[in-house]
Amino acid sequence: MKKRVVAGLLTVAMAVAMMSGCGKSQDTASETAEESYTLGIIQFAEHGSLDNCREGFLNGLESEGIVEGENLTVEYKNATADMGNAKQISDGFVSDKVDMICAIATPTAQSAYNAAMNEGIPVIYTAVTDPIAAELAGKDGKPVGEVTGTSDKLPVEEQLKMIRAMLPDAKKLGIMYTTSEANSVSAIKEYEELVEKYGFELVEKGITSTADVALAADDLVSQVDCITNLTDNTVVASLPTILEKANEKNVPVFGSEIEQVKIGCLAAEGIDYLALGEQTGKMAAQVLKGAKKASEIDFETITTPGFYVNLKVAENLGITVPDELAETAVESFSEITAE
Amino acid sequence: MSFIISILEQGLIYGILALGIYITYKILDFPDLTVDGSFPLGAAITAALITRGINPYLTLLLAFLSGVLAGICTGLIHIKCKVRDLLSGIIMMTALWTINLYIAGTSNVPLFSQKTIFHNDLLDQIVPEVLSPYITLIIILILAMICKVLLDLYLQTKSGYLLRAVGDNDTLVVSLAKDQGNVKILGLAIANGLVSLAGCIFAQEERVFEISMGTGAMVIGLASVIIGTSIFKKFSVLKTTSAVLIGSVIYKACVAIALRNFEPQAMKLITAVLFLIILIISMERKTKVNKNA
Repeated sequence: MKKRVVAGLLTVAMAVAMMSGCGKSQDTASETAEESYTLGIIQFAEHGSLDNCREGFLNGLESEGIVEGENLTVEYKNATADMGNAKQISDGFVSDKVDMICAIATPTAQSAYNAAMNEGIPVIYTAVTDPIAAELAGKDGKPVGEVTGTSDKLPVEEQLKMIRAMLPDAKKLGIMYTTSEANSVSAIKEYEELVEKYGFELVEKGITSTADVALAADDLVSQVDCITNLTDNTVVASLPTILEKANEKNVPVFGSEIEQVKIGCLAAEGIDYLALGEQTGKMAAQVLKGAKKASEIDFETITTPGFYVNLKVAENLGITVPDELAETAVESFSEITAE
Repeated sequence: MSFIISILEQGLIYGILALGIYITYKILDFPDLTVDGSFPLGAAITAALITRGINPYLTLLLAFLSGVLAGICTGLIHIKCKVRDLLSGIIMMTALWTINLYIAGTSNVPLFSQKTIFHNDLLDQIVPEVLSPYITLIIILILAMICKVLLDLYLQTKSGYLLRAVGDNDTLVVSLAKDQGNVKILGLAIANGLVSLAGCIFAQEERVFEISMGTGAMVIGLASVIIGTSIFKKFSVLKTTSAVLIGSVIYKACVAIALRNFEPQAMKLITAVLFLIILIISMERKTKVNKNA
C-alpha cells in the first residue's frame, strides 16, 4: 500500500511541477501584453558560432528598439544536440503562444517550423546553410510559410580566390569534414565544382566523429600543400589538434570564420556570426512590429564576407601576405589566442 | 494542454522503441546497442521511400522489416561469429551509421512537402475539425496499442515462451531440443523491428530525417523500461508492456519538466537526477519486499 502512495505522490509531484511550469510562462505572457513581445530562442547545441548568432540576434532586435527586459521577454532553450529535445522545446514554445520563435541551426529550424506551421507563429532562423535543401524555402527562394531567416552559406569562391593570392604555388588543397553534417557535404560539392577554376586539386577527408580527427589530420597534412576549413561543427571543435599537426609540417590552414583565425588559422574569407545574427535580428524586428509577414521576406545570405588574417601565423609559416589583400582585411590579428 | 499532448506523443513514440528494448534487455538479458542505429534506420528508410512517393502507411511495414534485418545481423554476428553481445551491437550500430547515410542520401532529409501518416488528403477528409489537434496523438496511440497488443499476444505463443525461457533459463531451452541461438536472433529481430518502427513514426511526426537522431536512443529506451517496470512492478493488473509504455511517457515528462524550468546547460543533470530519484524510490520498494519475504 505504501508503495502505491509513493508512486501516487511522485505522479502528483510531477504534475505539479509541470503545471507550475505552464503557469509561470502564462503569467509573463499576460504581464507583457501591449507593445511588447515574447520570443522563444531554440539553439541546437552549445557552440561558439551559434552563441554568437544568438548574441547578434538580440543586438539586431535592440537596434530596432526591441530590448530584452524592456519590451521583450526571451525564453532561451538549448536542445543539447538531441532531436527529441528540439521537438519538445518547439512544442513548448507553441503551447506558450510566444510571438515568434528564433531557431539557430538547421535541425532546430525544421523542428520549430514543424511545430509552429499550423499555429501561425512566425519562425526566424539563422545559421541554416541551405534553406532550400532544408525545405524552409521553395526552389524559387521564397519562404514555404511563415518562416524566413539567414543562411550561413560559405563564400567558397572568395575563399579560393584568397588562398590562390596568398599561396601562388599551392596545388593540393585539403578539406576535412564530417560525413554526417549536411552543411559540410553541400559545401564540399561546391568546392569540387570550383577548385579547378583556381588551379587546385581537392583532397577530401571524411570523418565520422571527433575520435577520427587526429588520424585523419596526420593523413591529410602529409598529402596536401594547404588546408581549408568549412563550418563543420566536429572539425572546428577539434581545430587545435589539426593546427598542431599542420604546424609540424608547415602546412597553412585557412579558416572559415573570425574565431578560427583568432586561434591560429592563417586567414579566412569568412562569416562573422555576430553580424549574421544582427542581420537576422533586424528581419525579426520587421516581423514582430508587423511591418512585414515572415512569408513576405526572402531568406538572406550575408552580404559581403569579411577577410580576416593572422599575421603571427603568417610569420611563423614564412608567408608574406600580399599588400592588396592585407589592406582589405576587416581585422588582422598579431597574436594567436589560445582557446 | 498542448504541452501534455506533446509529452504523450513523444512518450508513446519512444514507448514503441522501449517495447523493443524491453525484449532485449529484460526478456533476453542482451544489452543491445544496435538500437542507436536501427532507430534512425527506420527514419532513413521512411525518408527515402516517402520522397519517392511511396504511401506513408506502407513505410511503417517496410521500416519494421528493415529493423528486423538489422536485428538479425546483430544476432548472426553474436551467435555465428561468437562475438560478445555488447560488441555485436556496437558493430551493427557503427555499420548502420553509414548504411543510414546511403539510404537517405544525405544527413538531413526534410519531409515538409510530403504526405505522412499524420498529414494526408484522406485524413483531411475524414477527420472532423474538433479532433484535428489530437489526430497525431490518436494515430500514435493506435500504433502504440497495436504494437503492445501484438507483442502481448506473441509472448503467449509457444515461440514467445521460448523467448522468455532463453533469458531466464537457457538450459530449459536446450532440454526442449531447441536452438537457443535462433531464439535470440528472433528476439533481436522483433526488438529492432519495433525500434525501427518508432524511428519511422518519429521521422513522420517531426517531418525530417536527421542522421544524429539515434544518438542516445538506447539510453532513453532503457530508462523508460526501468522506470516503467520498477514503478509498476506490484500492479499485477498492468501488463509489463503497458508499464513500459507508461514508463516512457514518464521519462519524457521528466525531460519536459527539466527543459521547461531549468537553465539549458543544467538539462542533462536534471534529467539524470529525476531518473535517479525514480530509481531510488523503486529500489526502496524492493528492499521492503525482501524484508517481508
